[in-house]
Amino acid sequence: MEFKTHEDADRLTLSFSGMLTFDDHETFRSVVTSIVDSPAPTTVLDLSGLTMIDSAGIGMLLLANDRASKQGKQLRLRGVTGHVAKVVELSRLEQLIPID
Amino acid sequence: MMSPAHVADLAPEAGIASARILIVDDLESSRRLIGTVLESAGFTNLDFAADGEAALARMACKPDMVVLDIVMPGPDGFKVCERIRSEFSPDVPVLMQTGMQEDDYRLRAFRAGASDIVSKPIDAGELVSRVRLHLERRRLMSSLQIYRQRMEEDLRVAQAMQHSLLMSAEQVDAIAGPRGARLSTFYQASNTLGGDLWQVFAVDETRFGIFMVDLSGHGVSAAINAFRVHMLVTGMTALADRPGVWMQALNRALVDMLPVEQFATGFYGLVDRAAGTLTYASAATPPPLHFRADGSWSALDGSGVLLGCNAAADYPVRTCPLGAGDRVFIYSDALYENFRDPEASLETPDLAAHVQAALQSRDDFQAALLSRVFGPDQAHPHDDLTWVMLEAGE
Repeated sequence: MEFKTHEDADRLTLSFSGMLTFDDHETFRSVVTSIVDSPAPTTVLDLSGLTMIDSAGIGMLLLANDRASKQGKQLRLRGVTGHVAKVVELSRLEQLIPID
Repeated sequence: MMSPAHVADLAPEAGIASARILIVDDLESSRRLIGTVLESAGFTNLDFAADGEAALARMACKPDMVVLDIVMPGPDGFKVCERIRSEFSPDVPVLMQTGMQEDDYRLRAFRAGASDIVSKPIDAGELVSRVRLHLERRRLMSSLQIYRQRMEEDLRVAQAMQHSLLMSAEQVDAIAGPRGARLSTFYQASNTLGGDLWQVFAVDETRFGIFMVDLSGHGVSAAINAFRVHMLVTGMTALADRPGVWMQALNRALVDMLPVEQFATGFYGLVDRAAGTLTYASAATPPPLHFRADGSWSALDGSGVLLGCNAAADYPVRTCPLGAGDRVFIYSDALYENFRDPEASLETPDLAAHVQAALQSRDDFQAALLSRVFGPDQAHPHDDLTWVMLEAGE
C-alpha cells in the first residue's frame, strides 16, 4: 500500500493505492501518525485506489478510527469500490466507521 | 606486529575463550607463533596438526575453528579445506593463511570453502580479530539455531493442541447423524497456527448447532484468540437454540477480549430437520451457499457487524429452508480471495460452480474442491482455510 496526503483548512485527506494487508503494518503507522498530528477535525481516507483489503487491513482502519475518535476527530471513508466494497458490505463496516 | 601484551587487549569473551581452535601448519615455528598469539589473546583450547592428513584426523574432535596453512606436504590447504567442507562440517569457520599475495590464491581459498583469509607473515592483531569475529559469529548462529529449534518445537506442540480443539469426524457424526444430517469439514492453517475454528453442538434430541469463526490475522496471536473463543463458546450452550442471542453474547465477550484492531467473523446456525430449517446469525461471513436437492443453488446473506467491535451490535436471525438432500456450504474467505493475483479471486457463482462440480466428482470432495480452486499443485492459500459442508439426510 502507498498513500498520499492532502491537507486543507479543516480536512485531512489520505488517498491509498495498492493492497492494504498484513504486510502494511509499518506503513500504516505513519497513516495513524498523520491523523494524530494533523490539526484538522476531519480525516477522510480515500480508498478508491485500493484493489484489495484483508482482515488485517480492516483492523488498521478500525485502529485509525479509534485513534481519531479518542482525539475528538472524525474519520470517514470514501471511494469504496470493487473488492473493498464487498468486504465493507459483508462486514457492515458503515456501522463502525462513517462511509461517504 | 603487535606484541602479545597488546594482543591481550583483544581478550575474547568468556563464551569463546574455550573454543577449540585447530592450527594446521607444516612449520613448527609457525604453529608455535600462532599458538602463542592466540594463547596471549586468552584462547585456552588449542590443537595442532603438522600436515593435511593429520588435520583431517583431528577434525574428529570437532574444532570450533580451523586456522589452515596452504602450502604443506601431502594434501595442501585447498584440498584439506574442500574435504573439511564435504566430509566434516559445512559451517565450521576455516581461516586460511595465504603467504602469496596473488589474487588467484585468495580466490582459490574461497572456492575451496574458506570462511576468510589472513595474510602471511601473520599479523597478531589481525589474526586475533579475525578468529574472534568468526567464533563470535558462530556462537551467535548456533544460539539462533537453538532458539529457532525451540520455537519450531513449541509451534509444533501448539499446532497439535490446536488440532485437538477440532472435533473428530466420529464426534461430529455422533451429533449430526441421529439428527438427520451429515457434516464434512476442512481446516488448514496458512502457517503453523491459525485463527479459524469450527464446532458442532447438540442442542436437544432433534436439533444441533454449527459454529464457525475466523479471527483476524493469522499465526500465534490469532491462534491464542481461537483458544479463547473455544473456551467462551463451550460456556454458551444454554443459548444454543437462539442463534441471534448466541451471536450477541459472543460479540459482547469479544468486545472485552480483543484489542481495537482485532475482530472476528463468525457464523452460528441451528439445524432443525423436523422443521426443515437452518436458522442462523452471521457476522461478516462469506455468503454461505445453499445447494438444493433439485440442483439449483442460492447464496445466503452472511453479512453482519464484525465481532468484537461494537457491544451494541445486533445480529438478525435469518432462515434458510432445508429440505431432504439439500446442502449448505459455509467457508472462510481464503477459499475465494486471491491476494497474489486479485484478478483470479472467485465470484460467488464461480465458487458455487466449483463446489457443485466437486460434489459430482468421483474423487473425494475435499481433494476435488482444493484442486479446482487452487490448481493441481494446490498453491498454499494466503490465509487460514476452513469449510463446513452440511447435508440434510432423506
